[in-house]
Amino acid sequence: MPTFDADGITLEKVRDYVWEIPQEGGMNAPARVLASEALLEEIQQDKTLQQLKHSAHLPGVRKHAICMPDGHQGYGFPVGGVAGIDAEDGCISPGAIGYDINCGVRMMRTNLTYSDLQGREEELVENLFSNIPSGLGGGGVVETGMDGIEAILERGVDWALEEGWAVEDDLAHCEDEGVRHEADAEKVSKKAKDRGSNQVGSLGSGNHFLEVQRVTDVFREDVGEAFGLEEDQIVVLIHCGSRGLGHQVCTDYLRDIEQAHQGMLNQLPDKELAAAPAGSQLAEDYYEAMCAAINFAWVNRQLIMHRTRQVFERVFDRDWQDMEMDLLYDVAHNIGKKEVHTVEGGEERELFVHRKGATRAFPAGRPEVPAAYQDVGQPIIIPGSMGAGSYVLRGGEQSLAETFGSTAHGAGRLMSRTQAKNEFWGEDVRDDLREQNEIYVKAQSGSTIAEEAPGVYKDVDEVVRVSDALGIGDKVARTYPVCNIKG
Amino acid sequence: MGFDLREHTADVAVEATGETLDAVFGFVADGLAAAMCDEIPDDGERFDLTVRAENREALLFDYLDELIYERDVRGVLPVDHEAAVRDDGDGEWTCEASARGVPLSAVDARDVKAVTYSEMTLEESADGWRAYVVFDV
Repeated sequence: MPTFDADGITLEKVRDYVWEIPQEGGMNAPARVLASEALLEEIQQDKTLQQLKHSAHLPGVRKHAICMPDGHQGYGFPVGGVAGIDAEDGCISPGAIGYDINCGVRMMRTNLTYSDLQGREEELVENLFSNIPSGLGGGGVVETGMDGIEAILERGVDWALEEGWAVEDDLAHCEDEGVRHEADAEKVSKKAKDRGSNQVGSLGSGNHFLEVQRVTDVFREDVGEAFGLEEDQIVVLIHCGSRGLGHQVCTDYLRDIEQAHQGMLNQLPDKELAAAPAGSQLAEDYYEAMCAAINFAWVNRQLIMHRTRQVFERVFDRDWQDMEMDLLYDVAHNIGKKEVHTVEGGEERELFVHRKGATRAFPAGRPEVPAAYQDVGQPIIIPGSMGAGSYVLRGGEQSLAETFGSTAHGAGRLMSRTQAKNEFWGEDVRDDLREQNEIYVKAQSGSTIAEEAPGVYKDVDEVVRVSDALGIGDKVARTYPVCNIKG
Repeated sequence: MGFDLREHTADVAVEATGETLDAVFGFVADGLAAAMCDEIPDDGERFDLTVRAENREALLFDYLDELIYERDVRGVLPVDHEAAVRDDGDGEWTCEASARGVPLSAVDARDVKAVTYSEMTLEESADGWRAYVVFDV
């Protein structure tokens, strides 16, 4: 059997693009990496594989812990990690879902073409930047009191609909129709609510951004048609999460679980994986608080999208409905969800599916896929770097068998932020993108541009090629940046 | 003695050394500020904070979490940290600290989302104390 040796960890090749780390020591299941050899060479350069092995120590992990093709080192659990953990005799781990609960991506279609935009890129990027809050301390699209925050946490995008920041169609095109009904605002601390109150409708910073893009390729005409995508069309991609509120929910429960479930923690190789046993009070409380933070993130992206419609109205002097600015789909890539999957021996089990830097990728027919996409599969949005473009995929037929219905979430970082700032100068990156690629970038600081320079990411084309070849997420369309704003 | 920002693929790590536990707490917090902002101006008022936890490592975690919270609710970048750490006995530790809060409107700063326990080290060394903390960016 061919093997790949990665600094003391041996991976056995199961078949093309599937590598397995056998179960050993305290691991409760084997671990798998889904990657080409080229991607595996990059993945093995940091602590990704060690963290993947650690994640297989979580009690109740079923089949195997998995690393997606864009995987890289995170904290505790790797970014690009997926674990299906038994919801009856397993556990739930806040650190394996991540601080930025429901960090995710949405794509909005328009009926504009690239030629409609050419010559107005500068005006558009300036208007977007001055109207979409970003960065640290930039406020939000709305500021709300405690009552508003609690309504957002419990009702999700339905709150935005009532407040005039959404239309019915937006809810129909969002994962879970924009609300997790298990959410309980009382399980979210005042500290978390305080942090969220002035951040509703804000991008934040780091790798979060809003990008106006043009569709350059449609690879599957029938699915592209169902998604409403065609070549040369303008779309808007929004990438952000639950802001300080979600970060605080994760922090609060990590500490509570650490103190209450020391016994389980002692079985784990990394304190950041602290987990609450399934059925415990803290497992239930965390799940309900996480669902509330999920709702907050959906509202966050919804408000940014609706504000974007208003900006387009001003710049193009047309109604947003006339420009058919409709939500294609909204996907989460840092999330924990109770889902039923087939596990070892063909048994159906309810699992806490932990996806950290991984996107749900359900195929056609799965009941959770919205009505509009039941026949073609769930849309998956894979943002690339600001110089490389992004992809739209659809849930692949093999995703349920291979990955608990999951695929990659992006290009995946290759270079640290400190190294990126040494190698790139933000203003140079911005000028090069404009002069050589006709991409207009505006950010709160040059350092952010340097840290997010195209060269710090893996090859998104290769990540998507592997996803497509494995049949976990099939390539539908490719987009290329026109305007990009970031914090 | 002081801090350095260390390489991490996605996030940022701070390594700090100090002659005392008080100093190393303050230096990690200074590293957190440096991870968010390259050039820190002189303005801003000082504010106090007190954190309690069940052990030294948890105290460092909670101290850094509290600074991130204060940043968001006060709208300031906490810098120039001073910390005093004491063991109250019976599994209780206290950190009494202060920082200068530079208004976020006065700086180009980037978000650090949270402190993590991943790879966290807080250990006594021949020269004093050493800490290593990974922050989620």
